[in-house]
Amino acid sequence: MSNYTFIERPRYTCALGGAIATVSALPKAVPILHAPPGCASNFTWTQAGGSGLQVGGYCGGLSMPGSNVQEREVVFGGVERLEEEIRNMFDVMQGDLYVVITSCVTEVIGDDVGSVVRPLQEQGVPIFFAETGGFRGNSYQGYDLVLQSLFKDFVKKTDKKQPRSVNLWGLTPFIDVFWRGNIAEIRRLLEKLGLTVNSFFTVDDSIDKIREAGSAALNIVVSEVVGQGAAQVAEEVHGTPSLSATLPVGPTATSAFLRQVGEALNLDATLVEEVIQYETKRYYSLLELLADGFNDIDLQRYAVIIGDTNYAVSLTRFLADDVGWLPEIVGITDILEEEQQEQIAGQLSSLASGLSPEVIFHTDGSVIADAARTHWRKKQPLAGKYTNPLNPSFVIGSALDRELAKDLGAGHLSVSFPVANRAVISRGYAGYNGGLTLIEDLISTIIIGR
Amino acid sequence: MSYFELKEPPRREDRLKACIAHGAALGEVAGRGLQCCQPGNERTFTQNSICLLLPALGTMNSIPNSVVLMHGGLGCGSSSHCGNAAVRGGNNQRWGVVKDGRWLSTGLTESDVISGGEPKLAQAIIEADRRYRPAVIFIVASCVPGIIGDDVESVVEQTQSEVVAKLLPVHCEGFKTKIWATSYDAIYHAIGRNLLTDNEKPAIEKEKTGITVNLMNVSSMGRVDELELERLLNELGISVNIFPVFADPDGMQRMTEADLSISTCPTHDDYMLTYLKEKYQVPFIIRHMPIGIENTGKWLQDVADFFGLGEQARALIAREEADLAAALAPLKPMFKGKKAFSSAGEFRALSTAILLAELGFEIAGIRAFHHDEFAEVEYEKLVRLVGKDLPLNIANCQPFEEANLLRKLKPDIFLGHMNGNSTAAKLGISTHVIYNSGLHYIGYKGAYELARRLYRQLRNPRFNTNLSQHAVLPYKESWYQQNPFKYIKTAGGDNE
Repeated sequence: MSNYTFIERPRYTCALGGAIATVSALPKAVPILHAPPGCASNFTWTQAGGSGLQVGGYCGGLSMPGSNVQEREVVFGGVERLEEEIRNMFDVMQGDLYVVITSCVTEVIGDDVGSVVRPLQEQGVPIFFAETGGFRGNSYQGYDLVLQSLFKDFVKKTDKKQPRSVNLWGLTPFIDVFWRGNIAEIRRLLEKLGLTVNSFFTVDDSIDKIREAGSAALNIVVSEVVGQGAAQVAEEVHGTPSLSATLPVGPTATSAFLRQVGEALNLDATLVEEVIQYETKRYYSLLELLADGFNDIDLQRYAVIIGDTNYAVSLTRFLADDVGWLPEIVGITDILEEEQQEQIAGQLSSLASGLSPEVIFHTDGSVIADAARTHWRKKQPLAGKYTNPLNPSFVIGSALDRELAKDLGAGHLSVSFPVANRAVISRGYAGYNGGLTLIEDLISTIIIGR
Repeated sequence: MSYFELKEPPRREDRLKACIAHGAALGEVAGRGLQCCQPGNERTFTQNSICLLLPALGTMNSIPNSVVLMHGGLGCGSSSHCGNAAVRGGNNQRWGVVKDGRWLSTGLTESDVISGGEPKLAQAIIEADRRYRPAVIFIVASCVPGIIGDDVESVVEQTQSEVVAKLLPVHCEGFKTKIWATSYDAIYHAIGRNLLTDNEKPAIEKEKTGITVNLMNVSSMGRVDELELERLLNELGISVNIFPVFADPDGMQRMTEADLSISTCPTHDDYMLTYLKEKYQVPFIIRHMPIGIENTGKWLQDVADFFGLGEQARALIAREEADLAAALAPLKPMFKGKKAFSSAGEFRALSTAILLAELGFEIAGIRAFHHDEFAEVEYEKLVRLVGKDLPLNIANCQPFEEANLLRKLKPDIFLGHMNGNSTAAKLGISTHVIYNSGLHYIGYKGAYELARRLYRQLRNPRFNTNLSQHAVLPYKESWYQQNPFKYIKTAGGDNE
């Protein structure tokens, strides 16, 4: 859908930004930007402001090499500059993998980056490139484009599949601010099912293991929107089937997710159920201690949930079906096709709790906020001794939704990008542990004045 | 012909012969105009840098009642997510209201690139005007329109009559210049052409009461620093209007009515101040930056002398210096014998180094983002203070040169621009940020507050020393044995 005339404070950056995020999160990878000088710093400052203070990576920020193209290259072509840059780079930069990513400018002028990279690949240099010009889409597309190239041009082809080995993706580093914690928890659970997991971006991953990703029996994409192109390429090039699932948050969704994986891989159903039982039991035995507090302090809330598809759908399900809150408005800020919107709306109309929040698809926070205010107003009788307004309430969104929360008199927690007002290191909201963490964070926000 | 009659300002490479790459000793730069690199093609290996859009956003997002409409790829301007913290803080400090900046993107897609983005831009301007009802809309041209040939100016001309807001086109095509200080000219260009009208003589001559000056701020300067300069000028009976950061767009006209314009950063303002003098006969002073003890005095004395207030200023400076010296005395032993390195925009890096020398630090080296003629006076001051042999690196960031230099020089503390301290931090060096608009840097208060913060950093540098035991920088070990300036192409040949 590109029928917008503008996007207000986009809650992502461009494809190149997503590509930088992706490459700089791969283990010891060096991104090489074929771009004008500002694209890297634009992304660095985007991270500094939106990614819970996480900036850089092994070779991120302003340490990324780049061709820094100027008018001369725009007129005469930038391939020569890129060649010179890469040649000298090997004397300075130390990396296990090098990825050339392109920008609007170098794509519009038609530079043939492949002509620079392919000879190096033939010499056995661990390098590939991805065309990630900003006009190709937002940062989720950039993430997908890098993974597509990785599966096409870097991952080794093999007919031998390891039946208990899977690849895991779907969460864009830094744009999903809680990517590290989310990936770690899903990886932990998959390992409990006896699987070997290549998750690309954690400290337990390595370029050597990523090179072997073609031997996986299944690609698990924990998003129904992000990373789909890479799933298709991986199937075409490596013959690996894929499973797309909503990012699982909390016991209900996570248990369903583990069953889905079990079925797809023909795992022993008893083992899968044992893991689910254990984790669910553990979740509730820990949560149990908050039963007094939750009930005594009256911590149930009407909720507005605003985020990308991954978070908006998962958080709504978790709040409605696990926590027993009352989602009223769900705002989804991704750029989506109409059929994607219908499918997502369908998911949110079949909540186990029977609730059906109003779902708004719009890229602009202010439009979603206006819809929420209107919704709140409608439920608010003008006068009378006994009124039944939508309070107490809570807004789970990005830092840009603080104004809405203030207007509604609601609590607020930043979860989706931009997360300007929190520091995030290893925290995550996926899985059983993530559900507990989210409850901690929501309640801590509410009771901070105690 | 004034530059302001052109559609866009010239780039600083051409206007000021500014350069962005050099490695030398301080004495080689001091005192002569330096043609130190081949502009636009200055290194055979480079890391990425900043483009003029980023600092331009620092000012645009701060303007009250404005909308910043980025015309370009979806990502251009997403740095505003970071700048927004300063916008929220700045609004709160000035008006007691926390408010987010308002930026939009036309988010050009592949089909826009093929068929042209002008119709989309026109629609976006009209929609932004209706939805937000702002006083001004900055229409920012980034790289893509510059390459596909969108004529932003004519779109603005055609839509201006359909909207209430004043439309200010600002040129920020990142592939056109590597000297991001060009962005200051781009913003001033838009303000000068669109928000200042010809100064007709008012029907009734306003009675002139006292002296009013334009104090030119920069987006790296917080409200606390403005207050310090206001305090000092007010003591001399001088009233202050502050432009352009956080200045009301409807009040920009007052810029043309002041008795004098004063720059606080000579890198920032010459373009506008020259225009104000030529067109509106407002004289200006652009010489010192009020960072550091002596520099603050010189800055203040220049202004006072202009108005014949030299004696009062000398007395004020003496009082201020005495108070400050007494306050600094207990902190200074911590700094004695410690080596400091300063890295930032040219004028700021130099004046900060001078302040560090005044505090008793030994200066280990300096990095400046670019070099132009305005800083020559500052190099001369610094040479007098610390000698000619100090290593100097002109670099538009380039942390690989910095890492190499720092490993060789081993300073005790590094002062770097925002997002420019992590290299030093990972090498285990104590750091302090040079750009944080919530902190004091300027004037006597700034000197004291900076000293206080450095004292605190040096008391316990464990965060960075611990980090350096485990964090790795992405460079080959062999790189550290090389000449740090190996990849700089100088006008007289390479450095190797």
